[in-house]
Amino acid sequence: MKRPEGRQYGWHGGKMKERDQRIDELLELLWMMREEEVKDLKEFLKRAEDREAEALMDEMIEDGLISIDEDKISFKNKGEKKAEQIIRRHRLAERLFSDLFAFEVKQAHADACTFEHILSPEVTDSVCTFLGHPPICPDGKPIPRGECCKKFQVEIKPLVQPLTNLQPGKEGRIVFITPKHHARLDKLSSLGIVPGSIVRVHQKKPSFVLEIDETELALDEDIAKEIYVKEV
Amino acid sequence: MECHSAKKISLPREMQKIALIGNPNVGKSVIFGILTGKYVAVSNYSGTTVEVTYGNLNLNSVYQAGRKDRFLIIDTPGTNTLIPMSEDEKVTRDILLNEKIASTVQIADAKNLRRALLLTLQIIEMGLPFLLILNMDDEARSRGIIIDNKKLSEILSVPIIPTVATQRQGIPLLLQHIAAPSCSNFSFKYDDQLEDAIKEIMLLLPDSNISKRSLGIMLLAGDESLKEWLHSKISDSVIKAIDSIYQRTQAKRHEQLGYLINQRRLMAADEILQSVFTPALQRVRGIKESIGKWSMHPVWGILIMASVLFLVYEFVGVLGAQFLVRFLEENIFGRYLNPWAIKIADLIIPFPFLRELFVGDYGIITMALTYAIAIILPIIGTFFIAFGVLEDSGYLPRLAVMANKTFKIMGLNGKAILPMILGLGCDTMATLTARILETRKEKIIVTLLLALGVPCSAQLGVVLGMLASLSFKAVILWAGVIMAIIFIVGYLAEKVIPGEKSDFLLELPPIRIPQLSNILIKTLARVEWYLKEAVPLFILGTVILFLSHKLGLLNAMERITTPLVVDFLGLPAKTAESFIVGFLRRDYGAAGLFAMAKKGELDNIQILVSLVTITLFVPCIANLFMIIKERGFKTAIAIVAFIFPFAFLTGGVLNFILRAINIKL
Repeated sequence: MKRPEGRQYGWHGGKMKERDQRIDELLELLWMMREEEVKDLKEFLKRAEDREAEALMDEMIEDGLISIDEDKISFKNKGEKKAEQIIRRHRLAERLFSDLFAFEVKQAHADACTFEHILSPEVTDSVCTFLGHPPICPDGKPIPRGECCKKFQVEIKPLVQPLTNLQPGKEGRIVFITPKHHARLDKLSSLGIVPGSIVRVHQKKPSFVLEIDETELALDEDIAKEIYVKEV
Repeated sequence: MECHSAKKISLPREMQKIALIGNPNVGKSVIFGILTGKYVAVSNYSGTTVEVTYGNLNLNSVYQAGRKDRFLIIDTPGTNTLIPMSEDEKVTRDILLNEKIASTVQIADAKNLRRALLLTLQIIEMGLPFLLILNMDDEARSRGIIIDNKKLSEILSVPIIPTVATQRQGIPLLLQHIAAPSCSNFSFKYDDQLEDAIKEIMLLLPDSNISKRSLGIMLLAGDESLKEWLHSKISDSVIKAIDSIYQRTQAKRHEQLGYLINQRRLMAADEILQSVFTPALQRVRGIKESIGKWSMHPVWGILIMASVLFLVYEFVGVLGAQFLVRFLEENIFGRYLNPWAIKIADLIIPFPFLRELFVGDYGIITMALTYAIAIILPIIGTFFIAFGVLEDSGYLPRLAVMANKTFKIMGLNGKAILPMILGLGCDTMATLTARILETRKEKIIVTLLLALGVPCSAQLGVVLGMLASLSFKAVILWAGVIMAIIFIVGYLAEKVIPGEKSDFLLELPPIRIPQLSNILIKTLARVEWYLKEAVPLFILGTVILFLSHKLGLLNAMERITTPLVVDFLGLPAKTAESFIVGFLRRDYGAAGLFAMAKKGELDNIQILVSLVTITLFVPCIANLFMIIKERGFKTAIAIVAFIFPFAFLTGGVLNFILRAINIKL
């Protein structure tokens, strides 16, 4: 895994952090190998792009993160939890870059590698909520669930959602619009429907009707689905 | 006249052109009517005006006492942007572009000031002197919206005039200012990349009535509709150069330039709004809002629709087509007018031939005028009243919400219900209204369905009058067959006619209590139009029948059409006469059937079969000309070539089925 160059030092305060990041990388690797059901120690060392991997692993065993049993390597409880969080941050960041900013998967992956080390738990949960608690990353691998996702199932809704998800009578501030063709965007914007505007869902059936300012506007549900709002 | 091209903006005294522009359904036509005294249709929904109307305004001169200044006022179709997306919007933009407009009067719906400002900014960019009317001031106030007119006037540096046009409030102030519009000092910039591109394009543009800057912005926004105009002004190589500036600028940006431009304008509008506009705190939901809501409810909406249909049926089909027709036809015409006319004719016209022309079986008075005035006039009179109430209430666009899904199957969207319902008034006008639709495919389908299956008010009234005297079952059967035909043909047309569908995006006007005066004026205008258009054709049709009868052609024609009319449709040979005059007007044909039914010449199944056939029959002459004008000769011929055999085929099949199951009507 390629690390961003020139950023290891001074970004998070010195060498200690750098060592932590390298341990993070190893935990991440171990998680991914486990997903492939590979436990072989030699394979692990081969894939780890770290010359001091063995030294680091000693520390990890000491810290109670992993255990080695003959030629097999596996997580200990503490290490597994830690790896889960790293993977979660990484894959959420990938989703963020590819879904929202429409980056190529490769680019999204590279930037996600940076983000996995620096996102705080709060920001991670916000990103997760913002994206509507996605279950898988862009390559289809599962994103470990966080606390926010469990709550989501009972009470919390995604921060940004298609207008069609709002109940009638609710208002939302438009965050972005993803129209199929740009004529649609022009038409919407000439009616004042642009990011930043507040719209209210008037009804959903038999046709979708929204209110903007003092105007009621009937429109296809397909169009309403392309308008993403944050409920206010 | 562009602001920067003339030093002084005082208007010279010759006829000045003033264009009224604004968002849809803000009351442009009401103000046009007040200014010019000329009636144009006013309704409570977008898209009532699809054509430009001109009218004169005479004002006491502000320059010279005792002198009149004359202005030519231009009413335009409503538009949300001056980068047109449909034909009616293009009409408005072209007025500004091509006509030598001295100034513009922008009419805004005060409660939707944000959207209006979006248009204001475009007028400012065009460099046209203007003044801004904030109409429906009362509605804005009742919703708790406060607008600081003085401040808005300062920011834009143009006169701001609050009005309630339907009550003539604010009109004196408007008349004071209309001769002295201002150029706005307000300006705003796009980002550097766009500004650079605008400047580059400006160097390449020809002079016109509007500023080069605004043309440059339109071109950057990707306005395809300008291309034609450009081609007539500048060479292809220059157009290519403009194109490459556009391509180059677009390539640098992730988002469409048109969208960026709109976003910047909205930002500017929001900045203005912040200092002048206090929005409604809480939306008050009164009874009118609730009616609006229920009328679009999946369940209540259908019940409301059924009740509306029932009330219209009672008013038009029962009161108009039965009570009033009986009164006029049997009493006024039957007992008085026609006997008198016959007596007078006997006295003063010595030649039997001429006498018969006026008062015979196919007489101008006894047939043409009796049909036009006694049978059809009360029916369309009541229909136009009912229709006017529906138009002004704001209910009709809500039907689009109910019908959108069904219309999608026919290659249309809910918006198409507006021309379809207008067709119940007059198919000719409705064919013109098809302009509000966006794609060619949609326009053709709507034109076809109007010509085929939507009976106009006159015809509808006659049909309802006849069916109502049979049974309610007959009404339902007739309506069911016609609607099924419209649906099936629409479905097939969707498959056959190439082209695109468009998005459903329709503004719903607020529910309002219709004003009696507007309904009366509108009804009178429509009745007058009907008399002018229909009566001459009725007379023409009668004269044709009369001459054919005299020359023995009528019998010959009846004989020729016997296999079709008698054998296939199962109707009396005389019905052919109705179909012949039906070529001129379908309602005249229907009126002929009406008269036959009254004399007991048709049995119940024959009535239903003949009515279905005449409903589907070829469009009337006026509509045919409108189809040719709007859709072209080829399309018009194709439509007629389809409808003519199809109408008879349907009638024949219906006759066969009804006879086979031996239905009791």
